[in-house]
Amino acid sequence: MIKLEKVEKIYQRGSERVRALKGIDLEIERGEFLSIVGPSGSGKTTLLHILGCLDTPTSGIVRLDGIDIETMPEKELVKIRREKIGYIFQQFYLIPGLTVYENVSLPLTFSRKERNRSEIENLIEMVGLKDRINHKPNQLSGGEMQRTAIARALVNNPEFILADEPTGNLDSENAEMIFELLKSLHNKGISIILITHNPDLAQRTERIIKLKDGIIESDQMV
Amino acid sequence: MTTILFSYKNLLRHKTRSFLTLVGITASIAVLYSIISFNKGFEAGLSKELERTGLHFMIVPSGCPHEVASLVLHGAVIPKYLDDTVSEKIRNFKDISLISPILVTQLPNQIHNKIDLVYGMEMSHLKNIKPQWNIKGSIPDNDEGLILGSEVFDHMKVKIGDTYSYGDKKFTITGVLEKTGSQDDAFIYIPITALQKMLNKEGKVTALGVKVLYPEKLTEIIEKLSNEIPGIQIVTMNQVMNSISSLASSAKILSLSVAIIALIISAVGVMNSILMTVFERTQEIGMMRAIGAGRNDIFKIIITETILLTTTGGLAGLIISNIGSGLIEDFVRKFMPYVPAGKILLFDYKIALFSLIFSIFVGVVSGLYPAYRASKVSPIEAIKG
Repeated sequence: MIKLEKVEKIYQRGSERVRALKGIDLEIERGEFLSIVGPSGSGKTTLLHILGCLDTPTSGIVRLDGIDIETMPEKELVKIRREKIGYIFQQFYLIPGLTVYENVSLPLTFSRKERNRSEIENLIEMVGLKDRINHKPNQLSGGEMQRTAIARALVNNPEFILADEPTGNLDSENAEMIFELLKSLHNKGISIILITHNPDLAQRTERIIKLKDGIIESDQMV
Repeated sequence: MTTILFSYKNLLRHKTRSFLTLVGITASIAVLYSIISFNKGFEAGLSKELERTGLHFMIVPSGCPHEVASLVLHGAVIPKYLDDTVSEKIRNFKDISLISPILVTQLPNQIHNKIDLVYGMEMSHLKNIKPQWNIKGSIPDNDEGLILGSEVFDHMKVKIGDTYSYGDKKFTITGVLEKTGSQDDAFIYIPITALQKMLNKEGKVTALGVKVLYPEKLTEIIEKLSNEIPGIQIVTMNQVMNSISSLASSAKILSLSVAIIALIISAVGVMNSILMTVFERTQEIGMMRAIGAGRNDIFKIIITETILLTTTGGLAGLIISNIGSGLIEDFVRKFMPYVPAGKILLFDYKIALFSLIFSIFVGVVSGLYPAYRASKVSPIEAIKG
């Protein structure tokens, strides 16, 4: 479970102070499938970074499974990212020189976890890329790249998947496929937190959190 | 996937850039290795060559010790002479087993229109003075024969048995010295009495090579000789070696400095190349941080890339310099004074190991800054795009 209390985030950009989040109170239960929506600059990505332990708030409390993480040193945050969180990005960020298999197993290099080849192959099969396993990113379509990134996010068995506009660079057909994949992961018990601009996709999640100017405008179950 | 494999694959993404960087490191490690092993081989070859001369010391007219050094190894024209009385006096000393006169000069060769370097020596002493020589044909047994150095022989287009003249004096070529790789190859060897006659320098010599019966008494003998015979200078083989070593040392220092500078330049090349890839991969590094890489992991990946580059370059450099050692040797011989005969560049595992460790060290040093920069990449800033 993730709990945020009065979370504020202030950036210093040159001489300008940017208040990206202005007091967020939020609870996310394990196994939820929720979307965060809002216009550009509303603080969606900042919120996702804090939920994903990539960033700490300027003030307020962030509690992950009962542990306060807002004052945690970077070393501990890295450990949480490895063990509990899987990230998916709009631009996929696959490593060009590596095959699908190698890209998917990359997080294991950092977590030092052992997984045998068949486990990774199963993951790749699950995202529908069995016959692409030895392909490099430049041989894949956008949808295939994002599916590779999803398999990569799953390789450490995370509790949460944080997806930052995962369908933003895809056509509707591929976007649909990715969304269905996320839904199937949710059905397996993984919490999915999705940032999207697409209101139709948001409507198909269980809960929609609407952000505006750094505060939660609405938080509704669908 | 291990960090090493991952770093290796990263390097393969920019094949041309990595290759060019590698070439720099390869070349500079090859130069460094060759120079160090050459210097080592030089010392060893020199003392071996001096040991093999079979002489314990040289007696020359008082003068510059460097002249003597060059005379001992490869002949030099010194316009001062010792006369017969000196060798007579020395002959009276006990404990002397051999006195060999040497007369070095230049003679105009009218037929080929050039100046010959001529070395007058007691042909019967040849086996004692130059035991390492191989002679095709025979050693002259009278004043009518001569021996050609291999280089002279190749240039003249003559054969054994031909006549070789200086003015009215005619010699027969009885033998040819096989290639020694030293400056001995450029000389013509004439029986000393014949040469003295031709030059009207009967009884005059450039130097006397002396062998004693009991080498342990060397210091004692030298002291006695210097005290009792005026106008001479005695140079032991050790002094010759020191003299040559000091002559060669500036060349050594210069060449080593060049190698070190080349290495520094190529290390900067490695740093630059990897730093460029770090800047290009900022987003990728941010992604890796997001999916669980700590700062240490990123640091390790980048420094492994530079170490891989320099170690591969070091290995390639060692292989190339060992394969090409013959060429390198010929090249260095042209620029370095008094390089001893024989093969100087032999594989030396200690120097090879040192060069390899040094190339790893260069990898670490040149990787520190790029790795530091990469580890400082903020994941949030990076993945914002």
